[in-house]
Parts: sequence; C-alpha cells; structure tokens
Amino acid sequence: MNRTRILLTAAALLFASGAMPVLADDIVLGGSAPMSGAQAEFGQSQIDGAQLYFDQLNEKDGIKGNKVVFRPLDDRADPRQGTLVAQQFCDDSAVIGVIGHMNSGVTMPALDIYSECGMPQVVPATNPELMRMGFKTVVRPVANDFVQGALPAKYVTEKLGLKNAVLVHDKTVFGQGIAGVFKDNFEAGGGKVSGTYGTNPEDVDFSALIASIKLENPDVVYMGAGMPQLALFLKQMREQGLKAQFIGPDIGFTVDFITQVGAASAEGALMTFQLPPYDSSPELKDFSDRHQARFGRAPGPYASLGFANAQVMAAAVEKAESLDRAGVLAQLHGVTVDTLLGPVAFDENGENTTAPMYLYVVKDGKFELIKQ
Amino acid sequence: MFDYFLQQLIFALAIGAIYGLIALGYTMVYGVMRLINFAHGEFFMLGPYIYTFLFSGLVGLGGLAPVLDSAIAIVASFVIVGLLGVAIERFAYRPLRAYGRLAPMLSALGMSIVLQSAVRVTVGPQPVHFPAIVPSTPIDALGGMVTTVQLGILAAGVLLMVGLTLFVNGTRLGIWIRAASESWTTSSLLGIRVNRAVSLVFFIGPGLGAMAGIMYASYYGIMQPTMGSVIGLKAFTAAILGGIGSIPGAMLGGFLLGAIEVFGTAFLPILSFGYIGTEYRDVFAFAVLILVLLFKPAGLLGETVSEETTVAKKDY
Repeated sequence: MNRTRILLTAAALLFASGAMPVLADDIVLGGSAPMSGAQAEFGQSQIDGAQLYFDQLNEKDGIKGNKVVFRPLDDRADPRQGTLVAQQFCDDSAVIGVIGHMNSGVTMPALDIYSECGMPQVVPATNPELMRMGFKTVVRPVANDFVQGALPAKYVTEKLGLKNAVLVHDKTVFGQGIAGVFKDNFEAGGGKVSGTYGTNPEDVDFSALIASIKLENPDVVYMGAGMPQLALFLKQMREQGLKAQFIGPDIGFTVDFITQVGAASAEGALMTFQLPPYDSSPELKDFSDRHQARFGRAPGPYASLGFANAQVMAAAVEKAESLDRAGVLAQLHGVTVDTLLGPVAFDENGENTTAPMYLYVVKDGKFELIKQ
Repeated sequence: MFDYFLQQLIFALAIGAIYGLIALGYTMVYGVMRLINFAHGEFFMLGPYIYTFLFSGLVGLGGLAPVLDSAIAIVASFVIVGLLGVAIERFAYRPLRAYGRLAPMLSALGMSIVLQSAVRVTVGPQPVHFPAIVPSTPIDALGGMVTTVQLGILAAGVLLMVGLTLFVNGTRLGIWIRAASESWTTSSLLGIRVNRAVSLVFFIGPGLGAMAGIMYASYYGIMQPTMGSVIGLKAFTAAILGGIGSIPGAMLGGFLLGAIEVFGTAFLPILSFGYIGTEYRDVFAFAVLILVLLFKPAGLLGETVSEETTVAKKDY
C-alpha cells in the first residue's frame, strides 16, 4: 500500500515535470509581430504559420530529439514596444533565435539590440535598407521592396503598354521608398512620370488631390501608402471618374480593401504580394488544410511566410554544432532550405537570392494571381 | 480652370459642412462653460457605430422600408449620443466644477480615452466598412463631378445649422443657452436654471457631432475607433478660427478650414511651380490659423472677452 502510494507520487511528479513549459533540453525560439491593433490580422497569421511548422517538428521528435518551444510576443506594430520585446528575448538566455518583426519601422531599432546579444534573427520585414545596415545576425527569406516596386512597373509598361504614371505616397519610409522604386523602373521601361504627390499618413480625403491628378490625365496611378488609405483613394478616384490603372503594394492585399472600395470600383486594381495563393500548389493546399485543422480557420495573409521563416530558422538550429545563439548564428547565413515557398539561400547581405514576388488583380471581388 | 475651381469648391463645401457641425459642439460647450470638451471627437466617432448597430438591428428584426429604417436609426443615434453627452457632463464634469478649469478639462481627456478604448475593445481596432446611406451616384454638373453623397452631406449640414440657429435665436430654450453663455450669475438671478441650459448644450453638441460622424462615415465608406482624434483636432481648429464661443463663427470656421485645406491641396503645387507639394496642406492650414489669431485673437467672429468676465464666469 505504502509502496504503491510512493510510486504513484513519483509517477505524478514525473508527469507534472513533463508538462512544465520549458525543460533544460528544449529549444526556445522567439517570434514577434503585431498581434493586436490594426495590423493584427497580418501579424497573427505569421505567428500561426510558424507555430504550425514547430508543431509538425515536435510530432516528429523535434530537432535532434529536442522539443521546440515557440514563444510569440506582441509588438503592436509599435517601434517602442518592439525594442522592449527585443530586450526581453535577449535577457532570456534560453531563447536562441527570433523570427521578427513584421514591420520595417519596428525591425530597424530592434536590430541593434538583437545584434548586441548575438541573437540569430529571421526577418519578415521588407524595407531594402534593413539588410544594408551592416548587421551580421540577420537573414531575410522574403523579397524586399526593390522587387516589389519593380514587378508592377515592368508589367504595366511591357504587358499593358501604359506609359504615363502619377505617383502618390504617404511620406513614410515604406510609402515614399516603394513609390521611388516604382518610378525608377517605370522610367527605365520607357514610361513617363508626370507627377509625384505626397499626402499625410492619416489622410482620408483625397478628393482635391484627385481632381488635380485628373488634369495630368495619367493612365497609371501608383500609390505607396497603408490601409485604409489605399482603399479610400481608389474609391474616391473612381467616384470622380478617373479611370487610370491603380497599383498598390502588399498592405492592400486583404479582403478589407475590396469591401471598402466596393467590388465594382476595385475591379482591375493591381496589387503586389510576396506570397502565392493557397491553392497554387499541392504543398500550399496541404498547408492550408493543416492550418484549418489546427486553428479552425483558413490561413491568414502571411501564414505561409511564417511557416517558411520557421523552416529557415529550424534548418539553422538543426545544423548548429552547439544549441546556443553562437552555434545557430554560425550556420544562419549558410543555410539552404527548400521551404514551402521555394528554395532559400542567402547572399552576403543576408537577402534571399531567389525571393519571388507575385502580382494580383482584383477580379469579381477577389484577388486573382496574374501568371507571369 | 474655372471648372477645376468649381469642382474643388464642391469638395470644400462638403468637408467644411462636416467640420462646421463638429466645431459647433466645441463652441457651444465653451460658450456656456468655458470648457474645452476634449471628448467631443469621440461623440463624432460613436455616431456611425451606434447607427450601424441600430440599423442592422432594425433590419435583423424584419424592419420597415430601408429608408425608414435608416431615418429611425439616424434620429435614435442623435438622441442616444446626446443623452450620453448629458450623462458624461453630469457625472464626469459637474462634480469637478468647483475645482477650477483644469480639472474638468483633464476629466474630458480621460473620457475621450475611455470612450475610444471601449469601442476598440468591444468592436475591434480595425477600420470597418460603412455602407453609404444614400447610394453614391456621380452627377456631371457644371463641368465637374458631384456625387449624391456630397450633395446630401451639404444639404443635411446646412439644414442642421439653420435649424440650430433658429432654435438658439427663436425659442425659449435657446434663450436659456444664450443667457447662460452671457453670465451664469445674472441668468440664475433672473430665474434661469443654468444647469438645465448646460445639459441642453451637452445634448445638442454631441448629437450634432454624431450626425457629422454618420455623414463622414458614409462619405468615405469606413469607420474606425480613432477617427475622432484627427478630425476632432481639425474641428477644434475650425472653432477657434471662427471664434470659440460663437455659433455662427463655428460654422464659418468649418467652411473656411475646409476651403483652405482643399484649395491648399489644389493650388499650392500650381502656384509654387511644384516646389511646395500637396503634403504641405496642413502646414498651410495651421499657418492661416496662427495669422488669424495674431491679428484677431478672439477669432473671426468671436467677441472680445476681457479677463474679468472670464474670471467672473468661473467663480459664479
């Protein structure tokens, strides 16, 4: 009787310790993106995608027999909160790698903190500058804004033969930067930019601006701005009867864009995005099904990117000779992985050598991929 | 060029009507209480949210004709937001009246945060699509393009302003308001219940703000919890421009600010040969405000109030 009780207690203790969140041998990886606020939909989808991959790894005995613990923190798309999160990951010696942050403006100040504590970092943010600041602790599997601005410029000049563009941007690092990239490529393709207009990031009324753009009579309007400004601009543009081809960047790639503009007015708008649609390959379809099964909802806009970033991070951990920051860091730049989104290998800046970019058009109230 | 000017004038009038309606709320409260109600932008934001809630509720219950549904929802939003304004004055401002002018103002700032966060927590932070009340059909007029929504906003805005002017100048309740803004002491000696006048002002001001919010949301097609902050600041500027405390001043200030913004965007790049871009619009608008205040500190239509009167009002 007594012995049974002791045995039971011992078993219970063992069981309890097994259920504890972090064991000495667990591999702890951090992740950060906006999980609340206006961009929560994008941020949460990345976190979910990464979680899905780590779950899958753990089902197959983790990495080298060690369980992976993924620890996501909310940066609220706020640079101040982002630096706090970075400090928190750095201070926790169990964390040996971080996937984050989603926004370029949040990533930029955090880079310094991560590099200081030797933290290997996989970055999903897209500003070209990030990889040219000289930090050796970062890699970026996703395409940057040079690619994002170049693709639609090439498409409209070569395929659609449109040569007269007007640029609108919201004066942010992202908006102004990407409009500039579009301009360079559009002019290189033989087009002419007849005007560049700045707005304020919080503006909602573009009617006066659109009336003066109408005087230029452009056949392309490229807008580097956020949401809901992209939607508001296109809505007001169509209301004034300006029929030019509208092009926007990745932030507009959401169903909200179409509902806010109205399906009829949104028809034909072009949008660039870093990821292919979820029904474009058997692997992505399978990913989508597993996402549905795990979370009970279809994958959000950046879920497949989160999954691919997790694959890159896991590959570096797998190759590491010692399971600490220095070990992972030594392998980070050299990894070559065949991810969900295609092969990934990094150049000397840490940029993916073959990062793809996709162009979508709004058709019948839905985004449809344009085959290149 | 004349077509272009006319087109811009229509935009200026539509946005000016919205600014003017919100500015009325700031100015009426300031006129009676010498309080800047920083929570006013949130009443503007609550308008479309409450409207949407009521409208979808009515439609969900089977509803009447869509026109009637939305008319009922509009009137009910005015009343609900108005009553909320009265309640906020009663419980968040009135108990602080004895503690100088700073305490109620801070309380107003707090109310603004409370209201905004409440909507953000319950409905969510993301911008929500707001279906237009009047279908937005573009009309070709005089060489420009006007939408039915713009015309509707202008008509409704002017109607509300005329209604308010008649109410304040022509009715017994209006006399209360005017008397209370002249002097609390004298009006209470003459048998006017000043607190009722205050409540009345806190009913009408937020109600008008809610109307402006509904117009604004159906103009741009979206609503979001933070929409009151930026536009509230603009309308506050309009109120100061026209002379805070003056009702016709708020209307004038609203239209003027709308015009400065729109014509700034439209003509700054042309007049400066492209050196000054459209993004300088706000710089231009606020520079005009500073100039007006330098030469006419009480605003365009504001009465010049001596320091003694202000003190007397506070110490009533």
